[in-house]
Amino acid sequence: MSQGRKGKINYRCPHCLFRDIDFDLLYDKDVEQYYCRRCNWEGTEHEILFLYAVYKRKYKDMLKRYTVQDILAKDED
Amino acid sequence: MDKFILNVIHRPELVPEYINSDAQEGQTEQVGKAEVVNESLDIFRLQQEIAHRNGLRTTIQMTYSSLYNDECIELVKKYHDEYGDEIGHTFLGVNCKEFREKYKSKELAMWLFPMDMKKRIVVDSFERFKEVFGFYPTSTGSYFMDAELLNYIKERYPMVKAAVATCFEEGPKVFRHTNSSWYTLMDGSPWTAWIPSKKNTHAIAEDEDDDIGIVAVPHLSRDLLAIMDNAGDMFGTHPQNIIRGLIYEGDRLPYMYNLVDQYQVMKKYNKGFSYNLVYVGPGWMGKSGRWEADYRILKKSYEDFLAYYGELKNEGKVEDMTMTEFADWFRKNQPRSGPICGLWKDIVYGTKNQVFWYADSKFRVQIDLKQGGAITDLRPYASKLSRPCGAGTKANQDASYPYIVHSRYRAGAFTHYAGEGAIKSCKVRYGSEEVDLSSCRSTGTYSEGEGCRILGVRPVEIEFKNLTIKLATTYTFKENTGEIIISRKIVESSEPAAQVEVDEFLTSCWGTNEYPEDLTGCLLSVSGKDGSRNELSYEYRCREHSAENVECAEAVIPQVQTKVGLTPSSEGCKGYYEEGYSFAPNLKIGISKKIGLNQELVTCLKVERAK
Repeated sequence: MSQGRKGKINYRCPHCLFRDIDFDLLYDKDVEQYYCRRCNWEGTEHEILFLYAVYKRKYKDMLKRYTVQDILAKDED
Repeated sequence: MDKFILNVIHRPELVPEYINSDAQEGQTEQVGKAEVVNESLDIFRLQQEIAHRNGLRTTIQMTYSSLYNDECIELVKKYHDEYGDEIGHTFLGVNCKEFREKYKSKELAMWLFPMDMKKRIVVDSFERFKEVFGFYPTSTGSYFMDAELLNYIKERYPMVKAAVATCFEEGPKVFRHTNSSWYTLMDGSPWTAWIPSKKNTHAIAEDEDDDIGIVAVPHLSRDLLAIMDNAGDMFGTHPQNIIRGLIYEGDRLPYMYNLVDQYQVMKKYNKGFSYNLVYVGPGWMGKSGRWEADYRILKKSYEDFLAYYGELKNEGKVEDMTMTEFADWFRKNQPRSGPICGLWKDIVYGTKNQVFWYADSKFRVQIDLKQGGAITDLRPYASKLSRPCGAGTKANQDASYPYIVHSRYRAGAFTHYAGEGAIKSCKVRYGSEEVDLSSCRSTGTYSEGEGCRILGVRPVEIEFKNLTIKLATTYTFKENTGEIIISRKIVESSEPAAQVEVDEFLTSCWGTNEYPEDLTGCLLSVSGKDGSRNELSYEYRCREHSAENVECAEAVIPQVQTKVGLTPSSEGCKGYYEEGYSFAPNLKIGISKKIGLNQELVTCLKVERAK
């Protein structure tokens, strides 16, 4: 098996991300696959991006804008 | 007062933490590589240009390496002359060729050097600064500076007025987030500007004698709710940190504006004053990107962020100052010992969750409204613990201020199988049924009285099999006394004649992280109104004691020189203590009484330095 290197994009392991650990993935060009040296995750770029999208779902208001007025209004809820 | 003050800080860190490691990938280490230095200077220029484009002045914190770079020095002088930027100093960025040759060390964290080296570095860099600029800096900083270091700086260079003295809630959570490799173990400070005690940087000064002589600010202004159960390095006034947390889509980061707006709201709880600090190191804007984010989004996020502050400035909603200007303003306009408050609302998870924070010279308190208004984090500033850090000290890397309650590190309301976790809450009993208020979600209201700040917890409904009541809670913080008056009042009842037992309790321990520390020798006591007293020295033997008509129940935790007590305001209350055991390493004190509709149990929770 060949030496793992950083890919073109420095992705973090999605499984480690889910338990709040930032850990860089390595890329194995022979099998076109990313893998994690800490846990047992391995997969493609497509799988990484899918899991990132799942990760973001915890931020339900990620794209919502709360202005000063919106936040003050929460005081009256 | 209506004042929202902004400090923007830039540092020409010629060997940035992240750029350097990227540059070295697969290579022999060459600190000071020309391409790294040039890129770093380019980033610094860009950051400065973005700030000035938006009409914002900055504080430029000169790193050790930048004090030896002629191009950088000339650039900084130009910024100072043209824009009025402050030329300040930082202990970040010591990792350069000149430093390594002189000190023969690869240590990069100022707070972790042995004290003799800290002193050498202070004098070396301050004198070099004077040689370069003709004056000494009046502001400095690092990720953390313990009281021993700040006292030394103030004694040797009394002109210093301001320091970035900690990273708010960068502790075990951030350590874990960084694959246990980023040694900023420094939980426990205030979240906004404060004047530190001479005995411990985290703790707010008691009085003039205890005043360390500088105004401290935290590195970044952070989300006071998100950081409770997450690494703080994703939730602050640092756009690239937000990107790190994946709290964005494409190039949209509304959360960064939400944070700024919530900090504007903090004026409401602090007599019209609030503060933001923006401090993005150059490593976060490298051309090679940072993790998944490319340079374009890293750059654009910073441009958008400072543009928003620029808009606010044009609208008269924020005032940009340099660090020293801010320190002068703070000295004139803010009380030395606080208090500081914040009723923070969720702006990212889509819940109605709120948290209340309070800090003064006696303690820092976190109240989780979704846990019925339970105290879930309590740092006893009253003890003013002497706790130097760095090589040669007992604490070494563990620079946190110890807690006596931490519900997330130490279980809180939920334990597996046995025992109780650390929390200050209340249980309500009717017949054989029992409800812990921490299971009743609520929200808060804020008000002020003479010498006090008041958090109201909106009434929660408690359902028993044959009885439903509504219970209201009020926390009255008597400023700088160490006292919190806690009222539990039944405001509605399905059976007006019914009485319930209200048990006001504190389950406590001490530590700085998730692991238990030794409680041996803690003193638990219950004192009666008749002068009787029952006392126990902690030995993990699961002993307990209760008495009727008590004066108070108390615990002394000598390991953190702290005494904490519960005193009822009325007659006829039961008091107790429980020792705990090794599988449940806590101590517990409580006061209980039966009350009915429109009656209340009022207790005083007092935190003080143990003699």
